[in-house]
Amino acid sequence: MTAKPLSVSRRGLLAGGAAAGVGMVAAAPAAAAATDIGAATVAFHGPRQAGVAEDPPAHASFVALTLARGVDRAALGRMMRLLTDDAARLTRGAPALGDTDATLAVLPARLTVTFGFGPGLYRAAGLTPPVADLPRFTIDRLQDRWSGGDLLLQICADDPLTVAHTQRMMIKDARPFAAVRWVQQGFRRSPGVQAPEHTQRNVMGQLDGTANPRGAEIDPAVWNPDGSSTLVVRRVRAEMETWDRLSVTDKENAVGRRMESGAPLSGTAEHDKPDFAVLDEFGLPKMPDFSHVTRARVEDPRLKILRRPYNYDGVPDAAGVPDCGLIFAAYQRDIIEQFVPIQRRLAEKDLLNEWITPIGSAVFAIPPGCAEGGWIGQQVLG
Amino acid sequence: MRRLPAAVVAAVLAVLAPGTPAWAHAQLVSADPANGATVSSAPAGVTLEFSERLNPDFTTVVVSDAVRQRVAAGPVTVDGARGAVAFSAALGNGTYTVAYRVVSVDGHTVQGSYPFTLADPDLPAASPASAPAAAAPAAGPGGAGGLLIAAGGAVVLLAVAAVATALRSGRWKRPAAAPPRYGRGRPRSAGSPRRPR
Repeated sequence: MTAKPLSVSRRGLLAGGAAAGVGMVAAAPAAAAATDIGAATVAFHGPRQAGVAEDPPAHASFVALTLARGVDRAALGRMMRLLTDDAARLTRGAPALGDTDATLAVLPARLTVTFGFGPGLYRAAGLTPPVADLPRFTIDRLQDRWSGGDLLLQICADDPLTVAHTQRMMIKDARPFAAVRWVQQGFRRSPGVQAPEHTQRNVMGQLDGTANPRGAEIDPAVWNPDGSSTLVVRRVRAEMETWDRLSVTDKENAVGRRMESGAPLSGTAEHDKPDFAVLDEFGLPKMPDFSHVTRARVEDPRLKILRRPYNYDGVPDAAGVPDCGLIFAAYQRDIIEQFVPIQRRLAEKDLLNEWITPIGSAVFAIPPGCAEGGWIGQQVLG
Repeated sequence: MRRLPAAVVAAVLAVLAPGTPAWAHAQLVSADPANGATVSSAPAGVTLEFSERLNPDFTTVVVSDAVRQRVAAGPVTVDGARGAVAFSAALGNGTYTVAYRVVSVDGHTVQGSYPFTLADPDLPAASPASAPAAAAPAAGPGGAGGLLIAAGGAVVLLAVAAVATALRSGRWKRPAAAPPRYGRGRPRSAGSPRRPR
């Protein structure tokens, strides 16, 4: 069964000819007294997609779509031309073509839209997927409702209304081709409340992302020469009820860092290099063998992963048990070479596993960016 | 009759006492060699028994000598509530520290340490400073003469090192070969785990 064409015709207009569409372009409303934060933009066009290496904005929506049956390479090309056009406009603070709420498009607040292609998209196009689902890990308790996906839209901005509007416009435009599989919405600190270069805390109170590649380390760890990358999205539930029962020291032993400063237990400052050989005065390794940092450590900077996590905090149940955790998003050149060995070591032995549970998992190739007039996925589908 | 029978007091206390979760944590209940023991023959390893089952992934046992060098040992083996390590080479006379870090069923980390001393009359006596790691390899199954020579050499080495250290630090007043920190004080109770920090 092919996807049902929608009655309204933004699709038809665009597919049918740009000239017919011109009359439908909403007049761009003026941004009402935008602040620097509201007016800030991140360039959409370029050899690499935006939304990866920049400092993550405060809000994110990860939208995974399942392609409708019958969507082939040509249809994928039409869809990606359309979605690329939407993203290019919205990220510069302009309404999408035929935007039904153009007034909501004028405060981009560092909006980025990053496209990821799941294994199913390549199969639909008759191509060999460059990414494959992760192997099963013993700690996984994966749910279908948070796993998989043929196409991913990672929508990030410093304002939740901008994210909501972008999500709505883009899902609407993807609808003739794909159904929504899952949406994960997350947040970090609001813009302006913390200096950008500081590592943020997650809902478990840990400074999260200290070991990320920095500066010149980012390129060789994250990008392939053609401007492509890969993304792993894992939904990791925090078992807050039991985590809350731990003392600060117990938490620090599980993580391998001081809760307050983020310093490794072998050091005094957040960015001190953890020393896994140093013993304390009683002869115990200062970095516990089973701590998260000890198990996750990567010495070769080229094998590091760029973590770009967002917190989630759903509705507590009637007993007050929270539904929160991490939308763990990690970018790297190669999932098998970089991500899988780390996750395997963590699954094998990491005390933090007692308080975190992976409940969703998805992998995506991140195709290169595009120049103005081009579209994301052109190199793959064009 | 104004005095409550002890049993009643105990019962009332038992009811009123808060359910302290700490009581449920893994505790070291016995050890071989024992806490503070002086043994006369070199132990092949250390076995620790705790109050609850151990998770082998989260069990660390490290033995160090009097100058805080890790004693070579195989990986920790766990059998129920018991964790053990076997030494890779025979120990020489001296004081050793056994340190452990285990995780209770509820995820609390429990760690502690205790000393024991090896005083084997057939082995050379530990030097006043406790023989450093350099002397340990000599404490093998070799002849007594060789051991004595090795021990003598160790003393000379120690003296040279002490002078060098003193010269470097300029601290002549302090005995260079001061007893190590955990050689002092009374042995820590095996039954009272130390919380880090």
